[in-house]
Amino acid sequence: MGRGFGALLRKDFKLMLSGKFFLLAAGSLLVYSFYINMVYVRLNQEIYPVIVYDPLELQSKGQQPPAIMVESQEELQAKCADAYAVGIDLSAGMTVKDAKIYMVSSGIEQLDALCSAYAQLYYQQNIFQTDTGTVSYDSTNIVGDFTKEAKNRREITCEVLFFELTAVGFLGLAAVLFREKQMGVLRVHGIVPVSCAAFLFSKLLLFFISDLLFAVVLTMVNIGVIEGMIVLPTVLLQAGLLSLIMALLGFLLAVCLPNFRQFSLLYLVLAVFITTPVFLVGQTGISWGWIIYHPMYQLFITMKKAYFGERGAGLGYYCVCVAVIAGLFLLGIWALRREVAKSGGTNNS
Amino acid sequence: MIAVKNLTFSYENGRQALHGLDFMVEDGEVFGFLGPNGSGKSTTQKILTGILTGYGGSVSLFERDFTTIQRQAFFQKIGVLFEFPYLYTNLSAVDNLKYFSSFYPREQLRDIDELIDLLEIKRDFVKKPVSSYSKGMRQRTSMARALLNNPKLLFLDEPTSGLDPTGAVLFRRIIEQESSKGTTIFLTTHNMLDADLLCDRVAFLTDGRIAALDTPKNLKEKNSSRNILVEYLHQGQRKNQILKPDEVGKAFSFLYDEILQVHSQEPTLEDIFLQYTGRGLQ
Repeated sequence: MGRGFGALLRKDFKLMLSGKFFLLAAGSLLVYSFYINMVYVRLNQEIYPVIVYDPLELQSKGQQPPAIMVESQEELQAKCADAYAVGIDLSAGMTVKDAKIYMVSSGIEQLDALCSAYAQLYYQQNIFQTDTGTVSYDSTNIVGDFTKEAKNRREITCEVLFFELTAVGFLGLAAVLFREKQMGVLRVHGIVPVSCAAFLFSKLLLFFISDLLFAVVLTMVNIGVIEGMIVLPTVLLQAGLLSLIMALLGFLLAVCLPNFRQFSLLYLVLAVFITTPVFLVGQTGISWGWIIYHPMYQLFITMKKAYFGERGAGLGYYCVCVAVIAGLFLLGIWALRREVAKSGGTNNS
Repeated sequence: MIAVKNLTFSYENGRQALHGLDFMVEDGEVFGFLGPNGSGKSTTQKILTGILTGYGGSVSLFERDFTTIQRQAFFQKIGVLFEFPYLYTNLSAVDNLKYFSSFYPREQLRDIDELIDLLEIKRDFVKKPVSSYSKGMRQRTSMARALLNNPKLLFLDEPTSGLDPTGAVLFRRIIEQESSKGTTIFLTTHNMLDADLLCDRVAFLTDGRIAALDTPKNLKEKNSSRNILVEYLHQGQRKNQILKPDEVGKAFSFLYDEILQVHSQEPTLEDIFLQYTGRGLQ
């Protein structure tokens, strides 16, 4: 049994090698890390540009708030015409009641409300509270216990890892299985003394280890070794769960679907209709009440919490994850047996 | 070795593939299973190799009811050659053989180098990926895989398909060698020559039913017209004459310059198959 399982592992490793899986993972790691370190953390992460018209010079002298100052209401309106920037008109006085927010609707009610709230918070902090000297401008860059850069690094690293596991993990194992289907060797495994469970488990184990290694390197490189070490146990737990779920889902679909084209189409549907809402709600101001029932959202949010050092999920969450993994594993074996009983490949090209 | 009684099988779409097959295969016998596409050959072989379950009737292998057989132990005792050479094309012949050999007990295995020599797989190729092999080379590698574990029961599906004449002769010789060692061989084929040359008995299958089952010799004798066709030249013209059995004694009473050929008019297995089933094999 041990010798047979070792052979399965070696064979799957060679398939992953010849399928350029490791090259793809290493390339992704390089590109993502380059983007995070060279581009993303250097971007000015202001969510909405704030345009201020302050003819009465209500702001404290000598302090330069992170806002764009304009000289007239017309200029304010012109700069807000992109439906993204938020204008603050302080020409009427210096009380909260007197300040007016000027913005062009984005067409999304929730997004407009978010912009408005952001602008209100902005001028409360930067004008009125600053005048009392209790809050500095820089304090707006502190998010919880993290600096703005640390927060950004954790957020983007979480997103990249989530994307990598959902997309590449899902596709990776499926691609290996499609190659075996194409070669017709699934049928041979139906008549040799090896169990379908071992056949599936060896693939799962390799992709699981590969995904965890990817998570370790990505986290260390992008949020730092010491900070990475602190969050890694919880991050790896989440990454492991997500990796197993996605790999098993990929395996199941690859067994059931006749060719890679159909699989790709389904993958597109999965990406567009299942994963996109999760990213939209998780990373933008869009709010949908139903999203909490979306399983991918729960996985994403729990991973995000893990990156911020929070446990974030109860026993129920882990029980559901384990049940899903066990269910998908059993379904995978059942589907594999069915596939083996079919006529197999028609050629060996 | 194999005992099949009233074997039936229906697919999920409701199509009944087998309608009550009955046959037995003795230890060491080469048993031919002949039939056109869709006749139920592959279904029967899948049931006998344990791939398909949910059949009706009873199947015994190695003197045990198939439903009670421990599958892993069963797979250790059989070898299967599929019609198509299913191999890992990214691996070499040697790596394929090493990979598949790892599932069997070491003491049961044949030497891989010896198998490569037996199958006359070109030494230049054995360490190159299978993707660079011709179909014949792949089929030879597949045959080596099927023989790896010294099987007691060997299932061969169209073994000479895709082989050149030299390869076909080699495969027939290997099948005879295996048979002489006492290996039971279940041969599924369209190829009447293979069946005629190799099989101790053959069963003709059509539409999921066995139309005839006997030795090739008996089948031919039972169905022969016993006529003799004589081709000859007379006054520069090529002619032929069919002699009925009672005329054979008076044979060669016609005028001739030179006897060219004498044909027995014995039917081929394919003729007999057509006679029984009303269908061709292709």
